[in-house]
Amino acid sequence: MGAVAARSAIEREDRRFGWMLMMPGIALLAAVIGFPVIWALNTSLFDYTLIMPGYDNFVGADNYARAFNDGEFIHAAKVTFFFVVAVVLIEFAIGFLVALMLNDTQRGKNIYYLILLCPLLMNPVVVGLIWRMFLHPTLGIVNYLLSTVSLGPVNWLGDAGIAFWTVVMVDIWHQVSFMIVLLLAGLSALPKEPYEAARVDGASALQSFWHITLPLMRPVIVVTLLIRVIFAIKTYDIIYIMTRGGPGVATDLVSYFIYRRAFVGLDLGEACAMAGILLVTVIAITAYLHRSMRAL
Amino acid sequence: MASIELRSVSKIYDNGARAVHNVSLEIADGEFMIFLGPSGCGKSTTLRMIAGLETISSGDLLIDGARVNDVDPARRDIAIVFQNYALYPHMSVRDNMAFGLKLRTVPAQEIARRIDEIAEMLDVTHLLDRRPSQLSGGQRQRVALGRALVREPRAFLLDEPLSNLDAKLRAVMRTELIKLHRRLRTTMIHVTHDQVEAMTMGQRICIMRDGEIVQVGAPLDVYRDPADTFVASFLATPPMNLVPARLERRQDGLRLRAPGFEIAVPDSFGSAYASHMEMEVILGIRPEDLHEREADAGPNAQPIPVSIETIESLGPETILTTKTAGGSDLSARVADRSRASVGAGQTLHFDARHLHLFDKETTKLLPREHIL
Repeated sequence: MGAVAARSAIEREDRRFGWMLMMPGIALLAAVIGFPVIWALNTSLFDYTLIMPGYDNFVGADNYARAFNDGEFIHAAKVTFFFVVAVVLIEFAIGFLVALMLNDTQRGKNIYYLILLCPLLMNPVVVGLIWRMFLHPTLGIVNYLLSTVSLGPVNWLGDAGIAFWTVVMVDIWHQVSFMIVLLLAGLSALPKEPYEAARVDGASALQSFWHITLPLMRPVIVVTLLIRVIFAIKTYDIIYIMTRGGPGVATDLVSYFIYRRAFVGLDLGEACAMAGILLVTVIAITAYLHRSMRAL
Repeated sequence: MASIELRSVSKIYDNGARAVHNVSLEIADGEFMIFLGPSGCGKSTTLRMIAGLETISSGDLLIDGARVNDVDPARRDIAIVFQNYALYPHMSVRDNMAFGLKLRTVPAQEIARRIDEIAEMLDVTHLLDRRPSQLSGGQRQRVALGRALVREPRAFLLDEPLSNLDAKLRAVMRTELIKLHRRLRTTMIHVTHDQVEAMTMGQRICIMRDGEIVQVGAPLDVYRDPADTFVASFLATPPMNLVPARLERRQDGLRLRAPGFEIAVPDSFGSAYASHMEMEVILGIRPEDLHEREADAGPNAQPIPVSIETIESLGPETILTTKTAGGSDLSARVADRSRASVGAGQTLHFDARHLHLFDKETTKLLPREHIL
């Protein structure tokens, strides 16, 4: 009896010490994440504009209803959906291919690694500026190179049909190494023995990849896709620097649209409601992927 | 079923390391061959070359008389059981066993029939829908074996498949494998560093050291006539006692003079050892040829005075570690009811009919006739 009491006293002490260690982190998170989220969710329930800032006019779910009926918001959501699907799928395909090749590389692996990591280390604003210069219709190097083989000029960021894919391409250039690094880490951690067993069992390289690499990599693939999807949904900086959502609304991603609604349209209440919708969407995707990952 | 032949096979890795050197060996159709040797002796590499998982640097590998150096592992029709089982972690036991057959486009009905048959034989029927992570070590081992068996290959290669099992399970699986071979009559090569497995399982043992074959033969032949001091000291626990000695011809016959004791060599060995007369040799004494009672040591009993250092009682027998007056260590395997006590002086009796002599320079056995 005494021993049990003593043990629970020690456990209580341990728990208190644990809380003490966690408190600074929790306080910081509450200040920089918890407070803004709660503030934004609260604001989304009021008719709060930057012209008349104040919590006098409670409108309930009105801002949410308006957002769902807002054609521009729906359009931005659609563009974002296509953008996310395009960049994540293409980055995954390229990333997996390069990771597979690097996994089999013996010499100079670190050098390849370093080169591939360079874009990821750059600030998105820098990336946007560099590519805006590269893709300038008259002064850019890309159109110059095309002209040397009698092609172009292409209006990369000014043509509504091309601008979306240009932004997709720049995002891939910037982010693909993230996929490579994560997938390569997964590949190099795979056990070697099943491959030898499969070779003796009669599997070709393609069959080994299909029946062994892919199933064994599933958890890593899911996590990689999840992280990339979340980051792609939040893409903002490249759009701000390169197109400002244009031409027209061709590259109007939802993050940039919300920013405009808040600081150009000055309707903070509705912008907060849209941000809330975006947050719920991201949480839903995360929860879904997390659950399917646990089932693996 | 298949015969396997290695002709001067060598393996040199890209970094210049020599793993296997000039190995020549014939394994008959249906034979159970054991590759035995310490870690890093090249036995696993040799096995992997036979399987096709390692390239052969030089020499020829023949299966059923056909050279297969450049034949893909899949086409050699050989199954291998790995030390850590190498099961496909994401597949059920059934899928693990079916994988190789599916790749060979065996009809589904036939796959199901073979899996059911083998699963029953190995007593894993109730595990067929589980994943490897849900199995114990022994069960995984059975599944790995089953995966090899369902393919009905021409030969089985077993790469230390029992080394990850506990002692009791290992003994059980040892017997199972022997029975399995008797039943299937398929060529089997079993790699091990465990001399009990080597002595009990195979029809022949191939002992390797530093990438070369030291001796090939039936287990008891190798035990009785170890090719050199390495084999003598590697096979059996405790190993053969090796003591420096000098072979001398005296008026009363041949004598072996070792530090602290002398042994009269049976006259009939004279002609065999004539070349080493008056020379330094290495005397080999198996621990079981040392007896506490003179009567047990036969007509050629030779007394060796020793002092007892440790006594290990194993139940049915006792291992004595002793020291001679000349400082040589001698292990003796004696009956359980030993009268020995630590620190005491005692005389052990050596049955000289079973002495072994090795050349001091080459460490090779000096062959002679056996006296029974």
